[in-house]
Amino acid sequence: MKRNVARNVGIPILSLVLLLLVWQWIVTGFHVAPYIAPRPLQAIQAVTQNWAILWPLVLGTIRETVYGFVCGAALGLFLGVVMAKVQVLQRLVYPVLILSQAVPIIALAAPLVLILGFSVTPKVVIVAWIVFFPVTVNVLDGLSHVDQDLINLARVYGAPRWRTFIQIEIPASTTPLFSGLKIGATYAVTGAIIGELAASNGSSLALYQEHANSNLNTAAVYGTTMLMTAIGISWFLLVVGTEVLVTPWQRRSVARRRVFHREAEPSAPEAGH
Amino acid sequence: MSSNALLELRDVGKVFGETVALEPTSLEVTEGSFVAIVGPSGCGKSTLFNVIAGLLRPDSGEVLLSDQAVTGATGHVGYMLQKDLLVPWRTVEDNITMAARLTRRVTNEDRAEARRVARQYGLGEFLRHYPSALSGGMRQRVAFMRTLVTHQSLLLLDEPFGALDAQTRLDMQQWLLQVWKDTGRTVLFITHDVDESIFLSDRILVMSPRPGRVVADFVNPLVRPRDVATLTDPGFIELKSRVMGLLHGRAQ
Repeated sequence: MKRNVARNVGIPILSLVLLLLVWQWIVTGFHVAPYIAPRPLQAIQAVTQNWAILWPLVLGTIRETVYGFVCGAALGLFLGVVMAKVQVLQRLVYPVLILSQAVPIIALAAPLVLILGFSVTPKVVIVAWIVFFPVTVNVLDGLSHVDQDLINLARVYGAPRWRTFIQIEIPASTTPLFSGLKIGATYAVTGAIIGELAASNGSSLALYQEHANSNLNTAAVYGTTMLMTAIGISWFLLVVGTEVLVTPWQRRSVARRRVFHREAEPSAPEAGH
Repeated sequence: MSSNALLELRDVGKVFGETVALEPTSLEVTEGSFVAIVGPSGCGKSTLFNVIAGLLRPDSGEVLLSDQAVTGATGHVGYMLQKDLLVPWRTVEDNITMAARLTRRVTNEDRAEARRVARQYGLGEFLRHYPSALSGGMRQRVAFMRTLVTHQSLLLLDEPFGALDAQTRLDMQQWLLQVWKDTGRTVLFITHDVDESIFLSDRILVMSPRPGRVVADFVNPLVRPRDVATLTDPGFIELKSRVMGLLHGRAQ
């Protein structure tokens, strides 16, 4: 167990440290001017020294990311289920879905601002727009590949369709569902930043960065990029963590003891009721 | 309408397009008996099963269970395939109670029974294991227990041991005979292994393809209880040669 933790957590952290070291080595080794590219420590300092200003902006970006992700995931799941269950809808909706993803999201931002204004809403819409698609495609795929023999077995038992759906089809699709959610999670922050660039009139992380850029404050530009990346990685890890929690069978051979429905252990069949 | 026939088929036939999957077939299965069905692939055995299970509606004829017409209706039989169809996200205990979970709320009695059956038949240690931790033979045992706790008197077993190695299969056959004796269920058992059909059954139906039909109905005279020695009994060899003759077109 300890070994696993070392391998699963230690090695990724090591790879991040190595990345920072390579960055440091390139900047110092090639004598890169600080306004072209700062050293890692300078970028981090640019964040820590302005933390009071940055923190509310970070919270704003997190809020847009989370709201957008939740809406997008819910919409994606809903569409995936509906399209898997109603063939006609699948034919009808699929082309529109592809169209929605072929539209350059940047081009979409301007009309969204016209419609929704400068509030948090257009950012949430853009994030959801990006997130729902991989969720829908994966859920649809998962639901259409549930073992037909298993569904037949449920029918032989006399199971109503909704129970088969909840007890068999949904759990059988958790792996593809989480694949979709993980892809969505990595893109969610990008969507939020695009939204902030296109639809902010006040303060936002993206505008802060743009401002730093026009002032040749390269350290702050790098620092904010690191912050945005950190939000993305944290959100991705949260989704992965949720997957680990809800799919224990994928890495355990024995279930944890459940505290509920625990009776006298070697119970006779007449016990209970 | 014999009083001790649990299952009765009256002229049950099924056609898929141009293919006669099952010629109109009539059949009676006595309560508590173990009937084996042998035949090459395409002989209609699985069609026959799916009709009895209610998964397929026959083009003609009627299926009666305890004198009640159940043609095309599900929820009347236990059913098990070569694939164990255990769900990986449920423990052994929860897989055994799957039929209950699919039709109603799982009660404490359901769970208690699952545990009792699992302990009785040697899987008590594995109740909280996920299926991925079990061997092929153990998985089939769990699948069979899941079939057993449906409390259906008729069990349809479609090549349940077909994917197991020879040693495990022999163990499983003896185990199945033990469970069958303990529970008094009626078993219809599809296999293409002639040895298996003779070792297990009271009666053997031989089926043949194009069109799918029952070509012979043997009473199996071998005494019970049976063990490994049964496999070399002269009666066993004799019955085997008759069934093999039918299957491979060397009429005797």
